[in-house]
Amino acid sequence: MNGEVELVGAFAFTDEERLVHCIEQLQAAHAQFRVFSPIPSEHINRAIYKRSSFVRWFVLLGGITGIITAFVMTIGTSLEWNLVTGGKPIASIPPYMIIAFELMVLFGGISALTSWVLLANLPTFEPLSGYRSRFSSDEFGLVVHCGEGDAPRFEAMLREAGAQEITREAA
Amino acid sequence: MAAAVKDINLDPTFADIDRSVHAILEPPGLRYWIWIGFLLTLVLIGAGLWTNQIYNGLQVTGLGDPVMWAVYITNFVFWVGIAHSGTLISAILFLFRTRWRTAVYRAAETMTIFAVATAGLFPVIHLGRPWFFYWLAPYPNERFLQPDFRSPLTWDFFAISTYLTISSLFWFTGLIPDVANVREVATGWRKQLYTIVAMGWQGSDRQWRHFSMAYLLLAGLATPLVLSVHSVVSWDFAMAQLPGWHSTIFAPYFVAGAIFSGVAMVLTLLIPMRWVMGLEDLITPWHLDNLAKVILLTSLIISYAYVVESFMCWYSQDPIELMTFHMRYFGPWGWMFWVMVLCNCLIPLALFSPRIRVSPVPLFIITIFVNIGMWFERFVIIAGSLAVNFEPSQWRFWHPSLTEMGITVGAFAWFVMLFSLFARFMPIISMTELKEGITWLRQALRQGYAKAA
Repeated sequence: MNGEVELVGAFAFTDEERLVHCIEQLQAAHAQFRVFSPIPSEHINRAIYKRSSFVRWFVLLGGITGIITAFVMTIGTSLEWNLVTGGKPIASIPPYMIIAFELMVLFGGISALTSWVLLANLPTFEPLSGYRSRFSSDEFGLVVHCGEGDAPRFEAMLREAGAQEITREAA
Repeated sequence: MAAAVKDINLDPTFADIDRSVHAILEPPGLRYWIWIGFLLTLVLIGAGLWTNQIYNGLQVTGLGDPVMWAVYITNFVFWVGIAHSGTLISAILFLFRTRWRTAVYRAAETMTIFAVATAGLFPVIHLGRPWFFYWLAPYPNERFLQPDFRSPLTWDFFAISTYLTISSLFWFTGLIPDVANVREVATGWRKQLYTIVAMGWQGSDRQWRHFSMAYLLLAGLATPLVLSVHSVVSWDFAMAQLPGWHSTIFAPYFVAGAIFSGVAMVLTLLIPMRWVMGLEDLITPWHLDNLAKVILLTSLIISYAYVVESFMCWYSQDPIELMTFHMRYFGPWGWMFWVMVLCNCLIPLALFSPRIRVSPVPLFIITIFVNIGMWFERFVIIAGSLAVNFEPSQWRFWHPSLTEMGITVGAFAWFVMLFSLFARFMPIISMTELKEGITWLRQALRQGYAKAA
C-alpha cells in the first residue's frame, strides 16, 4: 500500500526555534508541508519564503492609480467647468496635490486589503486539512503531506523537533 | 539598546490570555442592557431634536450671523481629534515596534472608528438641507457641476472619508485572527457571526505571510494620513482670512491637540473598562504610565502653541488681531479660554508625578478635565473667532440652544454606546498581538536586550 498521508504535529509555542529547524530539514527533504501558528512569526516566514509577499506591488499599483485618478478628476472637471474662483488658475496643482495624496492612500489601502485577502485564498469556508482549533490559540501546527512510505522518516523528524503530539491522517 | 521592563505582567500563558478575553464575550447581564438602554434613550432624544431641526430649519439653533459655525463644527473637530490617538497607537507605534501598545491598541482603534463615525454626523447635522450632503462628492451629473477642489471643505471631505475607510480596513485586518480565535469557542449565532467575519482564517503560513505585509503597509499608509487629516481639518480655518483662524501654526497645533485629546479619551474609556471587565492583568500600570506620558508630552506641546500663538499676535501689532485675542482672554467668553488653559495646560502637569500616572482614579479624573478642556479649545477657536469679526458692529455672541446641547449629548451617548456594544461582542483586546508582545519581551529578557526593573 503506497497511499498519501498527512502527519499533523502539534508544538508548544515555546518551541519556535526547533520548529524553524524542522522546517529547514523538511525543505531539504523536498517535503510538502504547511505551518499553522497563533501569532505571526518572522522566523517561520523567512524560513519558508525567500521572497516578500506580492501585496507590496499591489499597494504600489493602487497608490499610483489613486494619484492619477485624483489629477484626472480635479484637472478634468476644472477644465470642463472653467470657472475662476479666488483669482486662482483653473487647474491649481498645489491644492489638487492634497486630493492626490488622499486618493493615493485610499486606493493603496483598498489594494492592500483586497490583495492580501485574495493571495491568502480568503474568504474560504473549507477548512485547510490538518487544522486544529488550538492552532488559533496556543500551539503551532506542522502538517506534512507525504507518501505512506516516507511517513516514519518525517514522523521522526517532527518528534525530534519537539512535537507534543503527532497524528496520521489519510490525505 | 536596553529597554526597562517595569510593571509588565509576563506570567499569562497564551491560554490565560484567551480565557481572559473569552470571558468578556460571555453573554452580558441585565446591568449591561440597562446601560445600553440609557445610552440609546439619549441617542433617540438627540435624533428627535435633529428631526425637529430638519423640519423647522436652523432657526431652532443658536446660530446666526456672524457665528454660523459653533457647537456642531466644534463637535466635528473635537471628534476628529479624538480619533487620532487610535491611529497613533495602532499604526505609528506599530511601526516603531512599541510593545506596550499591544494591550490597548484594539480599544484605541475601535474608539477611532466610532469617533470618526460620530464626527462625520456633524457636518451633515450642520446643513440646512442635510439630504443634499452628497453634493460634496464628485459624481457625474447632467449639468457637469463638480465641487471646487480648491476649497478646504472639499479637501476635508476627501480626508475624512479616506481616514474612515483606511482606519476601518486596518482595524478589520487586525481583527481577523482574533475573531478566528473566538470562533473556535463560540456557540450559536455568535459562532456564525465570527465565522463570517473571520472569512475562514486559520493562521496558515501563507495567510500570515500576506497578512503581515498588508498590515505593515496599511500602518505605513495610515501614519502620514493621520498627520494629514487633522492638518486638513485645521486648514478649514487657517485658509480663511479671519483673525484667530488665519495662522500657519494651525496644522501642527491641531495635530498635537488631537493626539492629546485622543489619548485622554482612550484612558477615559480604558480605566473603567479594565475595572468593569476585570482586565487588570492585561492592561497594567505599565500601559497607564505610558499613555499618561503621551498626554503629558502633548500637553506641553499645545501649551507652547498657545504661547506662540499669543506671541505672534503681539509681535504682529495688527490691531484687529490684538482685539480678537484680547476678547478671547477677557471678553464675554473669556472664562472658556481660562477653563481651557486650566484643563489643558495646568492640570496635566500633575502627570509629572509617577504615582499619579499609575493611579487609575486620579488619572481618570485628569482625562475628564482634558476632554472638557479640548472641547472648549475647539469652541474658543471656532466660535470665539467668528463672534469677534472685523467690524465691531457685527460682533455677536452665540447663545446655546436646547437643540444643540441635546444633539451634542446624544452624540456622546452614540459614541459610548457603539464602544460598549463592540466591547461585549468582539475581542476588545488583541489576543494575537498581546501574545506576540509577551513572547517578544520574554525573548528580550532571555537574550539581555531588556532588563526587569
